[in-house]
Amino acid sequence: MSHIHFPVVAVMSMFVGGFLIAIFGAKRRKLSQGIALVTMLFADVLVYSLFSPVILHGEVISYWMGGWKPVEGYAIGIGYEVDQLSLFFAMLICFVLTMSMIYSIRYLEKDSALDHYYTLNLMLGGALLGIVMTGDIFNMFIMIEIMTFTAAALTAFRNHKAISVEAGFKYLVLGSVGSGFILSGVAVLYGVAHTLNMAQLSTVLSQNYNPSTIFAFALMFSGYALKSFLMPFHTPVPDAYSAAPASIGMLHSGSLNKCGIYALIRLTYILFRVMGLPAVQTMMVLIGAVTMFVGVTMALAQHDFKRLLAFHSISQMGYVVTAIGLGTAIGLTGGLFHAINHSMFKGLLFLCAGAVYYAAGTTDLDRLGGLSRKMPWTTCCFIVGAFSISGIPPFNGFASKWMIYQATYQKAVTTGNIGYALVTVIAVVVSVMTLASFIKVTQAVFFGQERPQLSAVREVPALMRVPMVIMSLICVLFGTCYNLVNDFLLYPAVYATLNTHGYVDAMMGKNYAAASGMPFVKYEPVQFSFWNPVTWLVLFVIVLLAVFVVMMTGESDRGRVLANKGEEADGKFATFFSGEKSLPSHVGGSDLFWGFKKDFKKYFKVVQGIHSGIVNDYVLYAVCGLAFITVFMFVFVLGR
Amino acid sequence: MMLANYLTAIILIVLGLFCVITKKDLIKIVLGLGITDYGINLFIVSLGFNEGGTSPQFAMSEIMHGAYFVDPVPQALTLTSIVIGACVDAMALAFVVMLYRHYGTTDSTKIRRLHG
Repeated sequence: MSHIHFPVVAVMSMFVGGFLIAIFGAKRRKLSQGIALVTMLFADVLVYSLFSPVILHGEVISYWMGGWKPVEGYAIGIGYEVDQLSLFFAMLICFVLTMSMIYSIRYLEKDSALDHYYTLNLMLGGALLGIVMTGDIFNMFIMIEIMTFTAAALTAFRNHKAISVEAGFKYLVLGSVGSGFILSGVAVLYGVAHTLNMAQLSTVLSQNYNPSTIFAFALMFSGYALKSFLMPFHTPVPDAYSAAPASIGMLHSGSLNKCGIYALIRLTYILFRVMGLPAVQTMMVLIGAVTMFVGVTMALAQHDFKRLLAFHSISQMGYVVTAIGLGTAIGLTGGLFHAINHSMFKGLLFLCAGAVYYAAGTTDLDRLGGLSRKMPWTTCCFIVGAFSISGIPPFNGFASKWMIYQATYQKAVTTGNIGYALVTVIAVVVSVMTLASFIKVTQAVFFGQERPQLSAVREVPALMRVPMVIMSLICVLFGTCYNLVNDFLLYPAVYATLNTHGYVDAMMGKNYAAASGMPFVKYEPVQFSFWNPVTWLVLFVIVLLAVFVVMMTGESDRGRVLANKGEEADGKFATFFSGEKSLPSHVGGSDLFWGFKKDFKKYFKVVQGIHSGIVNDYVLYAVCGLAFITVFMFVFVLGR
Repeated sequence: MMLANYLTAIILIVLGLFCVITKKDLIKIVLGLGITDYGINLFIVSLGFNEGGTSPQFAMSEIMHGAYFVDPVPQALTLTSIVIGACVDAMALAFVVMLYRHYGTTDSTKIRRLHG
């Protein structure tokens, strides 16, 4: 029975470790690193030892701070509650944090002020664990706020660079606007329900839609969407991820926006139980589809390795939200699977970007090239990550993306709504564009000709390679053993999300949920069927046709570009056929899809203009997003 | 009486956001964030006020049904929120100082090295 204390001890130990480093770690690098690693491993042990009781035996852990149990059905104290969904995200976060910490031992060896780094890092970790393990909505807000400002500080960690400070400032301003949305939402909810406990709120708010609750929903949805950086709220992401050190970029992309996703799931499926409403499904799928499309097209136009990865991160979060927004069991399974896969492959890609920065001193795609011979390990890991994110079998991205295609298509069939089929098409197209943009990175950084100024580059040290290799192994493992992942991670989490009686009863006492009239949802486990050979073959033929068409158009372009002034035809800029005759020429990242970018020049001008870099504009988009969500909810949910 | 509080809270929130969106000076942006925060705090603390209620301090033996007092929870929330808001403001101002050292200006339209 002692394991009921584990969640709260895990969260507290992270903060205590952080403060110990702040007190004793000044100018003592080894001591700071030691305390950080020991604390992290301690939290790992606590969290992973919950796997057996929570996931295997289906227990929901509830813990009241100070023993203030509910009185007469009213929650008084602050509660911690860990169900399968919480533990799913907690294990994910612990893994990513540990990998980041191992990586930063060598990666940050040239930086000073490591004690500050580790203090903030542990505080960030504690806040992330707190978000997913707490059962109190105001406590969650506080943890989100700690997450925001430690993340902003870590983004600006290399503060001798102007861009780091700039990115940190933008992140902080947008983050506190989002926190303001969440706090207002929590306040309105408290005014309606007079409780802050999520289990009790869920019984009060379930099917109880009036202007106050819907307004609170819109506020909190926008706030959490900002924390997971969905479409109108995504603007600080590319700046923050590209300016932060790679170990922090990995945390941003691998665990911070997953916390936003977790909060969105809690909000929509458990607190308000609005996912049965077609209007909310439409809204989430719309936001997700726009997010994934704009993210990937922006990524195609980038010149910086990390900034490109950041836009892909936005795009992949679009997949997750689309899948979750479908409101079906298979959609939720696909969404959660893609969330965990995204943490793995995007973390891996950020680590590779960090390795390139460590070895070559830059992440500008136009100044890199031919690193594969110098850095074979990094190249292999990068290729695994690139294949995973582009959804190529047998890597993990394929398994989850295939589930998402299936889920959207199934939704189109069951509802008869052609829009969902369109979303399937968008998802496939985005996947192809992702592959295109990773071909560009692979060509620009690792293959092609070696640049003379990069001749001194060496492979990164072993301690940096270890996390990269572990994460690439997991990418392969999750793609091949998807059934194990489904049985031991996804199914329990999806069950806990759809079936909230256990969650409410564990916190508020037996039969509390049934007594308050909450409906019980029956849920059958999702069968994986993506190895169906016929569908797989059809997709293969479609992709082959697409590649063929693109290559044919590329060939007709060949040599036309530079051959108009009587010069010899030069195919350097032809799509897929690029390359010059004269030898010392490297096909850079900007050259590879030059034709594509030229064809869609107007579109790129508009979206690049939107990302203006001015913080006032970004706040304006966030407020417009809030206004859109509020109006949408009032018109289509209340006005029915 | 409470209506005046709610209206003031809404005016403060809108004013703060308006300030963040339209003012180009970074210090004014931080001030706008602070004003939004104060508006939200005023809103929360007004939520818990009961006209004619006593202060919510009781010994264990004095608690009984029908006791009429001001809700203490929003006050606790407001205190927490004020502390967090102060931290965020302090950190944002520290960023502004560092940005001024790097860019030589506090104009947000000039601090856009990361864009597109």
